[in-house]
Amino acid sequence: MASREVFWNITYGYVVYVLAAIGIAIWLYGFYQRYRVWRLGRPDECAKEIGKRIGVFIRTTIVDVFFHRKFLRQPFSGTMHLIIFWGFVILLLASAVDAISYYSGYHIQGTPYLWFSLISDFGGFLILLGILMAALRRYVWKPRSLNSLLDDGIVLSSLTAILITGYMIEGLRQAATEISPHPDWAVWSPGGWVFAKIFIDLSEGTLRSWHKFLWWFHSALTVGVILYSGLTFSKLQHLIVSPLNIFFRSLGPVGAPTPIDIEKAEILGVGEIKDFTWKQLLDLDACTNCGRCEDNCPAWATGKPLSPRKLVQDLKGHMLHLSSNSADSHESSLPLIGEAPNEAEIWACTTCAACQEACPVYVEHILKVIDLRRHLVLAQNKMPESAQLMLRNMQMRGHPWAGAQSLRLRGDWTTGLDLNLLGEGNHVNTLLWVGCTGALIDRNVEVTLSLTRVLKAAGVDFAILGEAETCCGDPARRAGYEFQFQLMAEQNIEIFKSHHIQEIITSCPHCFNIIKNEYPKYGGEFRVLHYTQLLWGLIKQGRLSLSKEVKTVLTYHDPCYLGRYNGIYSEPRKILQGIPQVRIKEMRRSRERSFCCGGGGGHMWIEEQPGTQKISQRRIEDVLNTGVDTVVTSCPYCLQMFEESIENKDSLKVKDLIEIVESSLKKSS
Amino acid sequence: MHTIVCIKQVPDPEIPPAKFKIDPVAKKVIPPPGVPPVISVYDERAVEAACRLKDKHKGKITVLSLGSEKATDVVRHAISMGADEGYVLQDEAFENLDSFGTAYVLGKAIQKIGGYDLILCGRQAADWGAGQVGSILAEILGLPIITLACDIQVEDKKLKIKRILKDGFEIVEAPTPAVATVSSEIGLPRLPAGVALMLARRKQIPIWKAKDIGADLSELDPSKVHTEITEIFIPTRERKCEMIPGATPAEVATNLVSKLVKLI
Repeated sequence: MASREVFWNITYGYVVYVLAAIGIAIWLYGFYQRYRVWRLGRPDECAKEIGKRIGVFIRTTIVDVFFHRKFLRQPFSGTMHLIIFWGFVILLLASAVDAISYYSGYHIQGTPYLWFSLISDFGGFLILLGILMAALRRYVWKPRSLNSLLDDGIVLSSLTAILITGYMIEGLRQAATEISPHPDWAVWSPGGWVFAKIFIDLSEGTLRSWHKFLWWFHSALTVGVILYSGLTFSKLQHLIVSPLNIFFRSLGPVGAPTPIDIEKAEILGVGEIKDFTWKQLLDLDACTNCGRCEDNCPAWATGKPLSPRKLVQDLKGHMLHLSSNSADSHESSLPLIGEAPNEAEIWACTTCAACQEACPVYVEHILKVIDLRRHLVLAQNKMPESAQLMLRNMQMRGHPWAGAQSLRLRGDWTTGLDLNLLGEGNHVNTLLWVGCTGALIDRNVEVTLSLTRVLKAAGVDFAILGEAETCCGDPARRAGYEFQFQLMAEQNIEIFKSHHIQEIITSCPHCFNIIKNEYPKYGGEFRVLHYTQLLWGLIKQGRLSLSKEVKTVLTYHDPCYLGRYNGIYSEPRKILQGIPQVRIKEMRRSRERSFCCGGGGGHMWIEEQPGTQKISQRRIEDVLNTGVDTVVTSCPYCLQMFEESIENKDSLKVKDLIEIVESSLKKSS
Repeated sequence: MHTIVCIKQVPDPEIPPAKFKIDPVAKKVIPPPGVPPVISVYDERAVEAACRLKDKHKGKITVLSLGSEKATDVVRHAISMGADEGYVLQDEAFENLDSFGTAYVLGKAIQKIGGYDLILCGRQAADWGAGQVGSILAEILGLPIITLACDIQVEDKKLKIKRILKDGFEIVEAPTPAVATVSSEIGLPRLPAGVALMLARRKQIPIWKAKDIGADLSELDPSKVHTEITEIFIPTRERKCEMIPGATPAEVATNLVSKLVKLI
């Protein structure tokens, strides 16, 4: 019966387990040191809801770890990581089976043994192939977002050495015991078989002594790698830290900042590394510097100073500095914002969440940026002039648009329309929240008017606030001016409640997101719908029928705050697909991977820093590559940004989705 | 160091020009609907100047605003920037005052507050732009007046003020107390720090009536008004676009120059 002797030729084989135990103990000590560093951070909400976390963790493990959903968006590096991961799973299981069979006395024999050998060898082969791909990428092709450190080289070369010596040991054993009596067994361990063929002519004594030497070398190297990763906190720690980070990831809405309690707040934003929460510090260690965030960042892609990868790594640098002075770390305080990260980087972020969407280990970049902005704005009063102007306008005028060329007066869009003003006439508890841009800027007012006509045609009973509407507070919150947001949120919630509003329909995804996801923390829980959701519901119910042909080839641009922040991808597409003669062509980057228009995070007003290109122009290139005649979106900022960036307005039009819907509406007969 | 700053609430100067409406018969500005009035831009800079002095020398800032009850908004704005106290002067008798009447009422309130080292006003109001109140106030209080300040320093209880001139600046010294009017060259006003914004929101702003400040109503009698508005109108602006002809860029330039020369 086919089988092999575990610990053949090796005396005191159990020593390897002892060594491994020591290695793991030291590794745990290194981990504990790091744990102490994380504990320097402030408390975090994420220690709660453990039961819910377990469920989410299992789901994420299956989708993003077993199946590599996020990794595989980059096919080459995704495949690379996938095969290394599964290779290690196989080898780990194989080692465990070996150990169990040795100590339990139950030996795998016969055909199962042969398959076991083959699968184990295949596991090693997968890893070697993965390492080859990694090395090619890292040292030959060198993509711009891949930043190679000494650690990367050490890890790749030591793993290669462990695997090759593993095959050699197998080959030496086969050459001595297997290849002549049982040549048909040997081929089931192809990795070893290759080396067995090479070593076949050596004497048994030589084979045995080489085998013994290499076996101990292989074991020592393995323990060495464990020690190395424990003592230096190498990237290999991601085996543990990444799952831990996934476990503790935010379960709440994407990029929703933590409220600051005015009565109790001792610190405003993050001015030194210890002002982060422990989970935010854990994030920094979970980052493996893989560069996926950087590859997807609109600021980085257009030559702005920000790279989300570098930002996290720089913050990690601050954390390490803190840990190296950990004796007096409770006293030491170093300003965080200066060289790296610097103010320009912090202000370049559009909070589009492409980085977070791309990150396989769920690092949360956006809240770090907002925390740093909060420190600059609230504690230091430092911000770009355009940001200051926007915030002053919000504070004094209740909206960020003052000074715009096509500015209107709040509420004058309603002139001549038969609309139900809240508090007057029939009582309605559905509010159409128009948003500043939709009420004040000419082009967007057209969209608002179109929306009111479609809603009326569908028989939706709604009221508006008209002159009494103010800003939702989003631009202030994303710019770190938290208290202005808080004032506006409290004020708006009070108005909603005093009018017994139950349902709010919004046109702007930014208003939608903040009212739906961030007002509840201030006591405002309402049923909030983006108009695309409402329309799709009406269409399904048959209350709205879009039957008139609209002959156009269009592409749909997913607004970040509708898509990545709220997962609304299919409703807009289904609405458009239902319109006769409309043909949709998707852009290279769409849905989860949509590329920002450049207007989020306050950047509709905060001046874009000089780079190689404007973010909106880059997105228009994506649009032009599809060859469509119309780009459709459902966000007033995107509409504005695109209007500004399209050079040839005859060949490419920008429309809000509602305008396409209205043209497909049969005039009521 | 105690600074009193006089601030005025004005219709938002940032509204689109086409939306600016007047009533030529009543000779009044019609407030644009849905647009909250704001602090006059120069007065906000006066608050900024006071805040800078407070940053450096400690002390106290009091703000005063003569206007409607809504003027509490601009007083709160000044408090969120760094002022300590604020009062609104509102009374039926205070409506439709000219610069003299305004200065009289402010003077009365300032005398009631007392204990000041410096009084600041904006160089002029952003709505009517008369630029008189500061000087008349100094006259009433019998204090020196330094207009068009763009930098204010205090050294040994003496004021060292940089004044903007047409062709440069001059630095003048004055004893305290004194009145100064602040020009925009002093620099951008600060964005209120976060917490101050919330605190200012909760602050009680007392409203003083004529009797609270001991104003003599006969001084405010319409018959004593020194200034009269004869007419208000929105200037019409005409634009004409003319293409300058010419075969070559050089020829176009020559034609343009000769055209411009004629216009001068």
